Amino acid sequence: MKRFPLYSVLLFLILLFVWEISARSMSELVLPGPFVIFRTLLDGIKSGYFTPHIIRTTLEVILGLFFGGLFGFMTGIIMGEIVFLRKLLFPYIIASQAVPKLALAPLFILWFGFGMTSKVVITALICFFPLLENTVTAIKYTDKQKQELFRMLGASRWKILIQLKIPAGMPGIIAGLRVAVVLAIVGAVIGEFVGGSDGLGAVIIASQGMMDTPLMFATLILLTAMGMILYRVVQLLEKKWLIRFMKEKEK
Amino acid sequence: MVFLLVNDVTYSYQGKGSVINRVSWGIEEGEFHCLLGKSGCGKTTLLKLAAGLLQVDTGSIFLNGKEVVKPSPEAGFVFQSPTLLEWKTVMDNVLLPVSLRRKVTTKDRENAMKLLETVGLAEYIQRYPAQLSGGQQSRVAIARALIQQPSMMFLDEPFAALDAITREELQDDLLKICKQQNTTVLFITHDISEAVYLSDRIAVMDQGSIIYQTAVQLSKPRTVEVRYSPYFNDLCLDVRQVMGAERS
Repeated sequence: MKRFPLYSVLLFLILLFVWEISARSMSELVLPGPFVIFRTLLDGIKSGYFTPHIIRTTLEVILGLFFGGLFGFMTGIIMGEIVFLRKLLFPYIIASQAVPKLALAPLFILWFGFGMTSKVVITALICFFPLLENTVTAIKYTDKQKQELFRMLGASRWKILIQLKIPAGMPGIIAGLRVAVVLAIVGAVIGEFVGGSDGLGAVIIASQGMMDTPLMFATLILLTAMGMILYRVVQLLEKKWLIRFMKEKEK
Repeated sequence: MVFLLVNDVTYSYQGKGSVINRVSWGIEEGEFHCLLGKSGCGKTTLLKLAAGLLQVDTGSIFLNGKEVVKPSPEAGFVFQSPTLLEWKTVMDNVLLPVSLRRKVTTKDRENAMKLLETVGLAEYIQRYPAQLSGGQQSRVAIARALIQQPSMMFLDEPFAALDAITREELQDDLLKICKQQNTTVLFITHDISEAVYLSDRIAVMDQGSIIYQTAVQLSKPRTVEVRYSPYFNDLCLDVRQVMGAERS
């Protein structure tokens, strides 16, 4: 990982300073200062108040990402491989893309209850599309010459898919996963906003009710950290896969 | 014995006029033939037909006495670009034709190693294609085409993107290996001196037909001196005039 350059750290410190100064002239209800927030965050972690909520949201994100991603990947492969299905389903896929999926959250709460299922479903639905699209594109646009090479070598359609199209499409597919990871957190938090009392999204809603703005900020920081960690994991995955492609670009 | 027989073959892409127009051609076993022509004259299409990647409209193609209807395991193919798999090492790329058919054995690895030694890449077996130069990538592609010891090789302008010196080295390597294994070769190029240097026989294609053919009477093995001999240059000029005929 690249070290943060010095001036970037400097900017961060300046921003913190400005924040602290401006927070002092305002009520804590409107804008709490960074120190107050930090104390709330630390206390919350120490006392174990955040722990169940973090676990809950993380679980929702991971399950949603897994099911949505897997389903998107599989559907993407089938649609990329079978032209007839692609032509049949694509108009519907485009139409369903236009539906604001987060607006469906109340409906899913109605269908699947206030428990974890509804949140996982929302998250999965959101993660489904980026993976679907990227997988279809990757499978569809595999290098023609490489396909001819495999045909020349007498490879079956299945082998062409497994040994050529999927590995060759991996950079695009992982790029889709990167988009999905960020969206997954949004999905889980929105789900928690709408219903239920567990998870970091629910904590934000609760802190709003209690007018505990420092708690709200602390939760936001936790969510940001979570997003960054997940993004980083995918980036590492990408690096492992793409290292050979990267080297070419560096030249 | 005629090893590759192209018999009165016609081919057209859907909706566009004929790309290959009643072409007949034969290559004796162990011979090296070059097909010359300008871009878009149909030479790559003819090669793909002969390799079984495309199906003839009319006429027939026989490889070693058997009619060609699909790609044969007896044939090796080298494309215009090396088309290596970026996520596999040099070794695994060379072994790809084997691994697609069955499990790779130690014997296969030894064969691959020998081939890679012949093309001068013994030290690079664990590298990835992106870490190699263009010439080295072409060498890997050639080694891959040879791993199953094909009796017939199809090469489609494999050296077009390389610099002059690297190209000469690869030409010599290719001739050496084909001589060793007694491989019959159909080689496509648009470079006249490359064709004359490599071949036993040259054909020139234009607009889907073979318009000129000649045997190359140069001693073998070919050496650098050959490239500068009067006969070599005269032949190149002849071919050049045929290829540029319609412009003058």
